[in-house]
Amino acid sequence: MGTVSLESFRADVERLRAEAVAAFGAAADDAGLEQARVEFAGAKSGRLKGIQKLLGGLDGADRPEGGRLFNEAKGAITAALDAAQARLSGAAAEAAAIDVTLPGEPFRLGHVHPITQTIRRVQEIMARLGFESVDGPEVEDQWHNFEALAIGAEHPARDPLDNFYLAVAKGADPLLLRSQTSTVQIRVMEQRKPPLRIVSLGRVYRPDTADATHYPMFHQVEGLLVEPGATMADLKGVLRFLASSFLGGDVHVRFRPSFFPFTEPSVEFDMEWGGRWVEMGGAGMVDPAVLAAVGYDPAEVSGFAFGLGVERIAARRYGVADIRDFYRNDVRFLEQF
Amino acid sequence: MPMILSTTWLAEYVRWDAPVDELVRRLLMSGLNHEATWEVGADTAVDIEVTSNRPDCLGHVGVAREVAVLFDRPLHIPAPQPLEAAVPAAAAIAVEISDPDVCPHYTARVIRGVRVGPSPAWLADRLRTIGIEPVNNVVDVTNYVMMECGQPLHAFDLAKVRGGRIVVRRAHYGETFRAINHKDYSLTTGMAVIADAEGPVALAGVMGGAESEIAADTVDVLLESAQFAPLVVRAAARGLVLMSASSYRFERGPDPAAVEWASRRAAALIQELAGGEVLAGVVEAGTLAGGRATIDLRAARVEEVLGVPVSAARQAEILTGLGFVKEAACSERCRWQAPSWRRDVTREIDLVEEIARIEGYDSIPEDRPIHAKPVEQSARERTIRVAGEVLVAAGLCEAMTRSVVSEAFESTASPWTALPPRRVSPALVRGADRLRRTLLPSLLEACGHNRAVGAPHGDLFEVARAYLDRSGNATEASPLEEPLLVSLVLGGPYAKAKGLAEAVIGRLGGVVEFRRGAFDLFTPGRAAEIVLERAQAEPVRVGVVGEVADGVLARFGLEGPVSAAELRLDLLEISGSQPRKLVPPSEFPAVQRDLNLVVDQGLLWAEVERAIRGAPGADRILESLSLEQVWEDAERLGAGKKSLVVGLRFRSQTETISSDESKRLVDGIVAACGRSCGAVLRG
Repeated sequence: MGTVSLESFRADVERLRAEAVAAFGAAADDAGLEQARVEFAGAKSGRLKGIQKLLGGLDGADRPEGGRLFNEAKGAITAALDAAQARLSGAAAEAAAIDVTLPGEPFRLGHVHPITQTIRRVQEIMARLGFESVDGPEVEDQWHNFEALAIGAEHPARDPLDNFYLAVAKGADPLLLRSQTSTVQIRVMEQRKPPLRIVSLGRVYRPDTADATHYPMFHQVEGLLVEPGATMADLKGVLRFLASSFLGGDVHVRFRPSFFPFTEPSVEFDMEWGGRWVEMGGAGMVDPAVLAAVGYDPAEVSGFAFGLGVERIAARRYGVADIRDFYRNDVRFLEQF
Repeated sequence: MPMILSTTWLAEYVRWDAPVDELVRRLLMSGLNHEATWEVGADTAVDIEVTSNRPDCLGHVGVAREVAVLFDRPLHIPAPQPLEAAVPAAAAIAVEISDPDVCPHYTARVIRGVRVGPSPAWLADRLRTIGIEPVNNVVDVTNYVMMECGQPLHAFDLAKVRGGRIVVRRAHYGETFRAINHKDYSLTTGMAVIADAEGPVALAGVMGGAESEIAADTVDVLLESAQFAPLVVRAAARGLVLMSASSYRFERGPDPAAVEWASRRAAALIQELAGGEVLAGVVEAGTLAGGRATIDLRAARVEEVLGVPVSAARQAEILTGLGFVKEAACSERCRWQAPSWRRDVTREIDLVEEIARIEGYDSIPEDRPIHAKPVEQSARERTIRVAGEVLVAAGLCEAMTRSVVSEAFESTASPWTALPPRRVSPALVRGADRLRRTLLPSLLEACGHNRAVGAPHGDLFEVARAYLDRSGNATEASPLEEPLLVSLVLGGPYAKAKGLAEAVIGRLGGVVEFRRGAFDLFTPGRAAEIVLERAQAEPVRVGVVGEVADGVLARFGLEGPVSAAELRLDLLEISGSQPRKLVPPSEFPAVQRDLNLVVDQGLLWAEVERAIRGAPGADRILESLSLEQVWEDAERLGAGKKSLVVGLRFRSQTETISSDESKRLVDGIVAACGRSCGAVLRG
């Protein structure tokens, strides 16, 4: 058994090393540095010398580790002394200088897709008003994509040429890629009772020939609020809050009458952007037929809904002239966001 | 299909005393979107967008009614009356509807002895303004009246209607028909035709026939004004790709009461412009369809919906101007009858919208405060963000690729199901009609694109759903199974993708095992499945990772090594939702030990790791375990052996680890490795 434990030896070595490096670093002139050198690294009675003697007191098995610790500390102390000497002689400092304009170590950060960034921004703004983000299936049945939304069997929106229907076995219920995220609102309303504030978001699909402003797959963000006594004035207030938060400043919102089967009244809403009115999306009061379809009582609650085409606002926000660029996945494009 | 207005024409029904810009703005703010305005000679054309619920605005009179209400001006609608001869129209033609489902109401009028020639300038100019090329005075009148009241008409050369009779029936399957455009069409039973004694003379509601069209030598005219079922007209127009101004209107359902007015109006105009003798009355089959809705409106309801009041008097003024008729004197609750041209208005809420759009949505304030409400981010949302943060920090860019891909592309890999992909129609883009079951081929293609264009790199990830068949077993939650996946592709060997997969899973709090696996996409022997241990259920595959096989690389124009992984975020989400609890960093020093273990070449690292972690006391003080180095040297280690340099760091939460204790643990680890892996400690 040795007289010195490895743990106490390690602690001594570490302490010495820290003190030496600090003393050399603090020396303001040659005299001060020399005094520190003698104290720590003096050949006869320097503290480093003193600690070296303790090595012999270690247990045989611990000696290799002890030696390693000592050598490491000695190297660090010597280097700190050299550095201090160089620092105090100006010429040496110049010799040690580097080209500080050389490139830093390359570091590549990835990028979040601009569509995702736009969606998240809307989500975050809506969350401040208590709208919870929800998602749901992209392959839907007729009930959720049409019927519950008051889009009857004869409505042109159900035409096979205007939807991506799945091939199904004869007699099976037709399925299709959802044409709007309102499907998720129906699913949530079927599951929960009002009051309700949700934002549904995700991919939607409509057969359109791809060009600079159309793509058969795109993203929607839709808000829904159902509460007793909700009015169109509440809808306008929420959209103005969204517009002002999204675009910055005090942004005005304008309603123009429109038609959607699942809202009544229905409007298009515009925001004042860059000095002119820009069409942002559709909105309206949830049609009583839709409330009834999910088991709500239209006499008890009312609601409003609105939808935004994400590609359109992202394109405008970032100056993307061709929305197909969002799906080319060219890193030179993605890296700019 | 555009609805173009001639302002000169519109002014015949209403005077609005304002510049065209103001007219356009008021129409825009009340529901008729403005597309464009341009000059045509002395006239001004205004292109407006009419929503599908407002077929009444697909004619000038309907728009004029809106203008009259918006500007509070009187509306003048002509009351045409042709001079009728004593001979009844029935003496010249018989009409029969064989299928009332395709045609509820058909009327025919006969005008004898017309002189077909060019239309007068006022008529030709108005048609030109709205983009319709004049043909002759008879055809022009039918177009004019359609664009006046929205009711499509058709004029036949009566001499070419064989057998003196008209039958409205479903088309026979395979029946052929030559339209006015001189193209031949093969019909199906979903469509309807106007037939004479021998065959079709018109495709009902869509287009007339070439054989019976009005020509320079036409003397007697048969004027059709009818109602056709929207779905039947749509089937024909879509099926034959033969859209016309007529089919567009019939698909939206014009005013049923306009059938009679339009016929009278057109007969009077033909008589005025082309002369001739109008036979008495119409020959009619079927009946005028559709009753008028009666709707109760509570005056207070308007404010309940809009949030701003509109006086009962103003409500009544607006509705009356739009053609609604109040049934009796009333105050708080009134019963209104909808006009025949507004079949879209059937409920109280519809009346509220009418009042709102005319009163103007600008009257609704935009600063009504809304009370705040707490909201929580869902586990799924958090999971998606955490995965994205890890991969972005690792230098990958987020991609978005199409959910629907080509068959050849789709068949590259399917790690999640053995069932084939579902098909959609039409194709999303050319050739792409399969719902994808994995994102990996799409990402590899995007990666290849980046290489082809010389982008700085092609390291990408995507978060999206895949679509898996359930062999018909739809659930409440979704018809198909739609796992949420995160996929990643990057340059570099297997360990690159594995490292990122481990980082994502670790951040989500999942405990997984990597097991050797074989997947179509990956080089044999360089792929693994990732299996999640679950507390209450069987372990489940939550990911695949591997080095992309040479054949696949070549296909996407890539050069190896490229590695990829795909993870099931929907399954990893559960662990992601557990709130993290702090383990305070230990205040005691760590002890570092390196072990050089010699094992059989084929031994898996996972075995060694399991042995080390299972050694007595390891769970308590083994802080970290790393593989520092692997080397083989037949001379120094012996054939079939490899050396693993393992870094161990011990640290206790409660005390400084003594050399005795660390030695005991190291001995225990060496023994455990020896026992279960045949490992031997090397010098």
